[in-house]
Amino acid sequence: MSNKIVPSIYRAVIDDVMGSIKHEFEEYGVSEEVLQDLQRKWEDKVIASRVAEFDPPNPAPHFPSHSMPMMPQYAAVHNPYPPPPQVAQSQSSQQQVKTEPVDSRYMLNNANYTLPPLPGPKLNGVPPRPNLGGQTSVISFPSGPQPGRPTIPQVDGPSDDSDDSATPPPASYAPRASHPSLPQPQASSSAAPADSEAINSDLDDSDTEDEDLEDGAGANTDIVFCTYDKVARVKSKWKCILKDGMIHANGKDYLFSRCTGEFDWV
Amino acid sequence: MASVYYEFYRGSSVGMALTDALDELITEGTVTPQLAMKVLQQFDVSLANTIVRDVKAKAKVKGQLRTYRLCDDVWTFMIKDATVAVENEVIKSPRLKIVACKSGELATAGAHLPAEKH
Repeated sequence: MSNKIVPSIYRAVIDDVMGSIKHEFEEYGVSEEVLQDLQRKWEDKVIASRVAEFDPPNPAPHFPSHSMPMMPQYAAVHNPYPPPPQVAQSQSSQQQVKTEPVDSRYMLNNANYTLPPLPGPKLNGVPPRPNLGGQTSVISFPSGPQPGRPTIPQVDGPSDDSDDSATPPPASYAPRASHPSLPQPQASSSAAPADSEAINSDLDDSDTEDEDLEDGAGANTDIVFCTYDKVARVKSKWKCILKDGMIHANGKDYLFSRCTGEFDWV
Repeated sequence: MASVYYEFYRGSSVGMALTDALDELITEGTVTPQLAMKVLQQFDVSLANTIVRDVKAKAKVKGQLRTYRLCDDVWTFMIKDATVAVENEVIKSPRLKIVACKSGELATAGAHLPAEKH
């Protein structure tokens, strides 16, 4: 049910924001046309993200084959639409739908708070935004006029070169086998990326590292934004009371006013 | 109504959509960055108020807590094999991240404390 109310909530938010910033726009001397342009772009992107079933703002058939007006049942699990990358391709024929941001966002292996690359020569290296948890990542943006620039965004973490070499010569680095906290050499050869790092803290917990790396894996990471009223722990049982939250899971958005969490810490 | 408005909602789908739209206009030159900041600040306020006002749904999350972090009054949890029950819907997620800031009343109370020490 909270996924069904998402469109109306977002509609209310957009209208509220637009109404409130109108006088700001006037103060800055920006025309109302720009305001409407902003609203249109915003709505288009929200609809394109497909986090819920939206009614297109204009009666014009932007989505002839996809979203129907306010379907009564939003089975979040039984998603009738193909996953975003395929949808992006099928939607490419429709105008005004920016498929690239959706496409790139899901393709990017970076923290989902960074800006996706924009099409064409418009973008000139807008710096990524460091946000929650201090996750920053560097993306190389595709620029139209620059030839030979790779359009594939960079990925944080170990370089791709390390994947090919099975066992880099250990002689030039501190012998990892001699460190007591490390696994045996034969086991460490499977962790090829870690071995090829020149500077690598031997004390790092590889388990956590992998999780952190996967954690910033882009918009396919399910995430909850909320506030907490209470977080408590008894032995290994954690209980928390969360308020006013937005869940993004499995490509859909859900909202709650109150949430209880019960977790087991192993 | 929360008196402290957090900016982390800007990382949500609707927030990112707004940020992207504003960045397009900034690149086009039709909107100044200062104005865009004002819009985002207004978005923080509007979204927070709308959620408080219009959303009544209750949810429950269960799962295995992989990591927890508290820094600057922000809890970050990584949940493995999470099951989220929202109203009538159940969502399962192999990996779920929860970012929670201190709730409004606590935040404003906390903000006053250091200044009032006698």
